[in-house]
Amino acid sequence: MSAQSLEIRRSSASVWGSSSGMRSVPTVAKYIDTSTCIGCKACEVACQEWNDLPPLSTQQVGTYQTMPTLDAGFWNLIRFDEREVEGGLMWLMRKDQCMHCAEPGCLEACPAPGAIVQYANGIVDVNQDNCIGCGYCETGCPFDVPRFSAKTRKMAKCTLCVDRVSVGLEPACIKACPTGCLHFGSKEDMVGLGSLRVDQLKKGGFTTAALYDPQGVGGTGVVTVLAYADHPEWYGLSRDPHVPLGVKFWKSIVRPLGLFAIAGAFIAAVGHYFNFGAKQVQGSADSDTNLPQA
Amino acid sequence: MSAVPIRDRAMDDAVTVARDREDVAVGNEIVRHRLASRLIHWAVALTFFVNILTGMPIWTPLFRWMADLFGGLSVCRVIHPWAGVAFTLISAVQFFHWLKDMHLEPAEKKEWLGSGVMKYLKYQGDDSQVGKYNGGQKLFFFAVSLGALGLLVSGVVMWFPLSFPQIVRELSYLLHDLTFILFVAAIIWHVYLGTAAEPGTFGSMVRGTVTKAWARLHHPRWYREVTGQK
Repeated sequence: MSAQSLEIRRSSASVWGSSSGMRSVPTVAKYIDTSTCIGCKACEVACQEWNDLPPLSTQQVGTYQTMPTLDAGFWNLIRFDEREVEGGLMWLMRKDQCMHCAEPGCLEACPAPGAIVQYANGIVDVNQDNCIGCGYCETGCPFDVPRFSAKTRKMAKCTLCVDRVSVGLEPACIKACPTGCLHFGSKEDMVGLGSLRVDQLKKGGFTTAALYDPQGVGGTGVVTVLAYADHPEWYGLSRDPHVPLGVKFWKSIVRPLGLFAIAGAFIAAVGHYFNFGAKQVQGSADSDTNLPQA
Repeated sequence: MSAVPIRDRAMDDAVTVARDREDVAVGNEIVRHRLASRLIHWAVALTFFVNILTGMPIWTPLFRWMADLFGGLSVCRVIHPWAGVAFTLISAVQFFHWLKDMHLEPAEKKEWLGSGVMKYLKYQGDDSQVGKYNGGQKLFFFAVSLGALGLLVSGVVMWFPLSFPQIVRELSYLLHDLTFILFVAAIIWHVYLGTAAEPGTFGSMVRGTVTKAWARLHHPRWYREVTGQK
């Protein structure tokens, strides 16, 4: 966690809600073009290096992927999918990391104040000091991103290099890419780049190409050009990601109603006592006043 | 002879008797809860409150201040599931300890699942057939036992979320919330009825005894069974 100069737009488990939002800061985004990715994994190495993450052993499970999935010490993974399509065999490689959603499900699910924050520029970051390692964020995230350290049990994920971005540098992964399939800038500019590339792909015969920027989470801070956008599952992406209904229902409905119910029970008890008083034992055991009223 | 006042031997005898027997009259009192019952009840109450105080700050930031009783939210996150294990175990002990006293008669069931509740709360119910525990108390017993089970099942999923699929996790968060909310509302009334609303009751769970007059008022059939008098 760094870059205190960035205002926090939203914070987990925050009673008071958003910050003042006085300064207008453009939302940033990463642009990923899966159609020109060669799977060299320079971006994986750059992320490990910049964030001083420990070297992890590659797990060979019969695919070109370095690791089967993200890890608390491995925040950026090139996912690899071999797919037979009309016209031959395609290698579909997608750079997988936190999507920095505009409506982050992890932040909504998180019960620890200030453990997950969304900066004014849209970057979603974890504050390890405040994280309690409960795992709620894993249920809130529609992209299966949060991972927990075996040692501290706290959550770690891609920070969109907030420490680089806040001093005017591009994220480490973007800098390392040799083919130019990764770009960084304002969300508006990256969506513009995406439009151009999608048009090119369509003209080249990829009729179902599109830019993956799911509105179910309000759009994401990572926009991805997919050649086969009608099959996002080929790239390990879900068709309509959104903050899970269970999480929304729990936080926005059950919790406030529950608070009312508990307060109500308490107030009802006080009111009952004011109105009816106590059921008093009168006199001694032999007194007739204790017999049930006929 | 000294002028030292003679202690009321009847009161001390009741406590002694209450160590291992109940439903017996001693002087002006009747032993209602023997020592084992009282210890089990307070163990359940204690573990329950530790769970509430460690769980509510996690539930909502409005109760974040409760976490400071234990040293912060991270500590609460560790204590809460273990206190839950303790609560489940002692609730199971409580369930089997009191099960035989909690048999619901059909008439009780009909009354207490219907208009009987309001009549009781307005002090207008006919208590003449009320035994050691009234229908409401018996229903409460089964409700809290079921509640403890619900909290356990959902709690285990919340403790090891990555071992369960997404839908099971979502349902568990909801089940845990709903169960705990109903539980707290019920406990507020349990404490209220056991203290302010019905004087003479609290002693039954501390000393273990109640006065004969209390028994005649609240549990007339039990009074008749214990003393043989009307």
